[in-house]
This record gives sequence, C-alpha cells and structure tokens, in this order.
Amino acid sequence: MLELQRNVIFGQYIDTRSLVHRLDPRIKIVSMWLFVIFSFLVELPGLLLSLPLLLMIHLIAGIDFRYILSGSRIFLIFLAVIAVFQILFYRGAFAEQNVLWEWWIVGVSVEGIFFAIMISLRVIVLYYVVTMLMLATSLVDLTDGLELMFLPLQRIRVPVNELTLVSVIAIKFVPIFIGELERLARAQTARGISFEGGGPIMRARRIGRLLIPIFLSGFRRADLLTMAMDTRCYQGGANRTKLRRMQSSSADWLVLGFVALWLIAAWQIPNLIGWTIP
Amino acid sequence: MTDLSERPSAPLVELRDLRHTYLDDTPRASVALRGVTLDIARGEHVAVVGPTMSGKSTLVDAFAHLLRLKRGMVFYEGQDIAAPEYDRAALRRRVGILFQQPDAQIIEDVVGKDVAFGPTAAGLPAEETRRRVEESLDALGLPYREYRLRYTHGLSGGQRRRVAIAGVLAMHTPLLVLDEPMAGLDPRGRGELVRVLQRLREDRELTIVVASASVSDAALLCERLVVIDEGRVVVDGPIREVLQDADRLLALDITLPDTVRCARELRSLFPDLPTELLSEDDLEREVLRRLEGEAA
Repeated sequence: MLELQRNVIFGQYIDTRSLVHRLDPRIKIVSMWLFVIFSFLVELPGLLLSLPLLLMIHLIAGIDFRYILSGSRIFLIFLAVIAVFQILFYRGAFAEQNVLWEWWIVGVSVEGIFFAIMISLRVIVLYYVVTMLMLATSLVDLTDGLELMFLPLQRIRVPVNELTLVSVIAIKFVPIFIGELERLARAQTARGISFEGGGPIMRARRIGRLLIPIFLSGFRRADLLTMAMDTRCYQGGANRTKLRRMQSSSADWLVLGFVALWLIAAWQIPNLIGWTIP
Repeated sequence: MTDLSERPSAPLVELRDLRHTYLDDTPRASVALRGVTLDIARGEHVAVVGPTMSGKSTLVDAFAHLLRLKRGMVFYEGQDIAAPEYDRAALRRRVGILFQQPDAQIIEDVVGKDVAFGPTAAGLPAEETRRRVEESLDALGLPYREYRLRYTHGLSGGQRRRVAIAGVLAMHTPLLVLDEPMAGLDPRGRGELVRVLQRLREDRELTIVVASASVSDAALLCERLVVIDEGRVVVDGPIREVLQDADRLLALDITLPDTVRCARELRSLFPDLPTELLSEDDLEREVLRRLEGEAA
C-alpha cells in the first residue's frame, strides 16, 4: 500500500542533535530570510557560490540526503516541468541568441538553458533553506523563535502570539493529515475500493471519498485541540510567560555573521571579478 | 482456487516470517514486525495479544495485503496473496477487517448505505444486500428501520463502531479480523457484541482473529492465545495453558482478566491455586475446594 509519508517531508522534524538543531531558532529564521533575499538579488554565479554554504549546513545537520530527495520528489518533478517550459518559450532580453533549435513558436537557445538553470536553482535554494529550517527546528523552538522575533509588533496590537501559534499548528497539521490519509486509504482498500488503476473520473471519485472524511476529522481534531487548550486555561497575548528563556550565545551570532558574510561575498564577488553567465 | 480435498489440513491463513518497517531507509523508520510466523486453521478463533506498539495493527493489515511487505509471505487458502496475478479484490471480499478507529472505514454518509457498501461492491443483488444490511444492523442493536437513514457522522463513537462492525459482518466473510473490537464500547455494548460474535462464530463457522491489548476481551471469543511483543511471537497456545504463566504476561504489560489477577493474588493463601481461571465460577470452585480441604 501507499506510504505517502515517504514522499512528503513538509512539516517534519528530524532530531539528529546536531549543531544546526541546537542553534537559536531566531538565528536560524533570520538566516533563512537572508537566504531568501539573497536568492532574489543574485544571478547564476552568486547562486552557485552559495551552494557550498548550503552543503556545509547540510553536512553539519546530518540529515540523510536521500530522505530529503525522496521526500521532495513531487516538488522536483514539478520544477523539471517548469524548467522545460522555460527553455522552450524563452524570449530573452538579448536580440541575438545562440539558437540551437527552433520550430514554430518554441525553441532552444543557450541563453534559455542558462536562464532555466538560474530560475530552478533559485527555487531549489529557497525550497532547501525552508525545508532545512523545518527539519532541524522543533515545533517548540519554531514557535518561541517566531514569537520573540515579532514581539515588538505586539505594541501596535498585532496578535503575535496567536498568529505564530496558528501558523505553527497549520504547518504541523500537514504530517498528521498525511498519516490520516494513509490510514483512510488503507481502511477503504480493505472495504473493497481499489486505489490502483482506473480512469481519471474513477480516480477523482476515489479522492472525493477520501476528502470528506479527512475534512471531518480535521474539524474534529481542531475542536479537540481548542477544547484541550481551553481546559488547560490557555490564553494568548502579551502576558504569556515562557518556561524557557531563550538566550543566544556568541556562537549563535558567529554563525549568523558567517552566513551573512558568505552570502554578501557570493553576491558581490561575481560583480567585482566580472564573472557573468548570460 | 486450491482444491481443499487435496489438502484437507491446509490452514486458512499462513503468515511466514513477516517483517515490516514503516518508512524504512528514512530517519523516521520504525520497526513493527520482526519475523512473525503463524498458521490459522479454518474455524479457529485466535487472540493476538500484546502491549501497545507490539505490532498488532500491522499484523492485522497484513491479512488483507494492505502493507507492502519486503520480507515474509502471506498465504490465503494456500495461495501467496502478494503474487502479481493474485486477485486481491476477491481476497478483500473474503477477509473482513475491523480497524482500531472505525471512522476510517466508514465510507458513506448514511448508515444503511455504508453497511451496504461492501455487498454492493461485491455485486450482490439489491434484495440480498438489503437483507444483509437489515440483519447486520439489527444484530448490533441498531434497529434497521430507525438507523438506516441516519447520518454516520451524527452518531456517537460507540454507534459508529457498531456501524463499522455491521459493514464488515454484511460481507459474510469467512475470516474476521478485529482490531480492538471492544474499545470505546460500554459494558453493555461489549456484552452485546460478544454475544453477536459468539452466535455468528457458530452459525457461519467463522474464523476469527482478535487483536487486543487485553486478554479478557479476547478470552470471550477465542480459544487460542498468541502473545506478540516487539514484533515477535513470544507465546502461542491454548488460552488456559498460556494463562498458567500469568507472571510472564504481566511482565509484558498485558491486561489480564480480573479472575486471573485475583487468582494470582490469592496464591499467597493457596500456593497451588491455578491462574488459568476465566470465569468467576471457576475461581469460586477452586477456592472453595481448597477451603474445604483445609477444614477437613
């Protein structure tokens, strides 16, 4: 039977107790944002220069690469399809293109290929950084980190505490739903619904049969969670205190500095030495 | 189909060295079964008992080929159910599974329609389907006329469980695999369910497998007790024989029937008191006999 959890790593947390895991979550979140801004600022050379840093983070975190790869299959297929379209329909800024092949409105040019590589790489960097943050940061750390970072907004009456809680719960519901979906599919198979084969209409009907119970159970779960929080007197807002005080050490700041320096270097060096790829 | 006259002693289900790891080759891998071998004869009533996380539910899934097994084989009537040419849809019409959470297996939104789902999918005529739905719902204390048009999600947890059971019973499968069938039922509901199953067991010559963390639930329906722990079979035998070693079962964190626990405590007074006592009458008789012996 299907094991959907194998193909979806979104919202998972894999504890390897590495340095990356133990970092102050705020530092990790800020680093992620640095990566996000960086990936929109730079072109292909800069992106390539940032890859060693990603590799370093990956090696330190010690999470099995095959796991990330198999969990990103759907994403990678999607990306590949987009890349093919970008190559075929590329109409660049350059009047002169090294056209390799052309037919009707589609064509393949060297510039088009490089452009597609750049866009794909940009998306991969974005995806990878966010995935890494989730895989290497526990739910509690993520909530605390986000909350502390946006705490100043509380003064202008932004419900920071509630917003972070809601977003973190939403992220963490994804794996729960997937597990639930698997369970449903298994039980329905046992009752005689086949999940293999069939035309598109049959497939759509089968998915419909899964969607309604999954929504029902989602609402039930949400209800339960609210009730559980109520019975334990949960209250959001500015007056909440924390069991753990978060304190960033100098090592945390060092890591942030290192990431920032690397990214600035990767951004500026290609400009300085005039390294451009079309 | 295997010709049964050729192999009269062939078991209904044979599990051979079942091993299963969820999400293997990933950091989230968890081992559920570490080599389970079991034969279940036609008409046998087997309790599979073990603590939580012992692999019971995984074992239940294996009966209807709901797992992608890497190691191990399952034979139904002597045929390998993982073979590519094997008709698994037919297998699932002959193996009725009640899952631990009944919500997962309720497909339709109306009680009558849901119980009819299996028979309809199996291509039974409407009249026969209706008869089976009525019979199954009535047997579980959900009168057909009153419940057939009720919405499934408007029912209570215990009622939903009964609807799920009715859906399985309506299939008239020769093999019933029940995962924690008594969970979420009140004592009366339990009693009713046990009576229904006891009756069906005789009427339809059912083969029953009950997976449970509690021996008391299973003891009411089964004569054979298989204890599994950490994905392995640790004890297998007639239920009374297995209960003789009550200490071992307790060490495995298995809930024993009250009478067995009571007998175990009374051993401080009567060291030779047996523990394999399944009813209060048995216990009373044994204790009285010893008291009379002492008085004499």
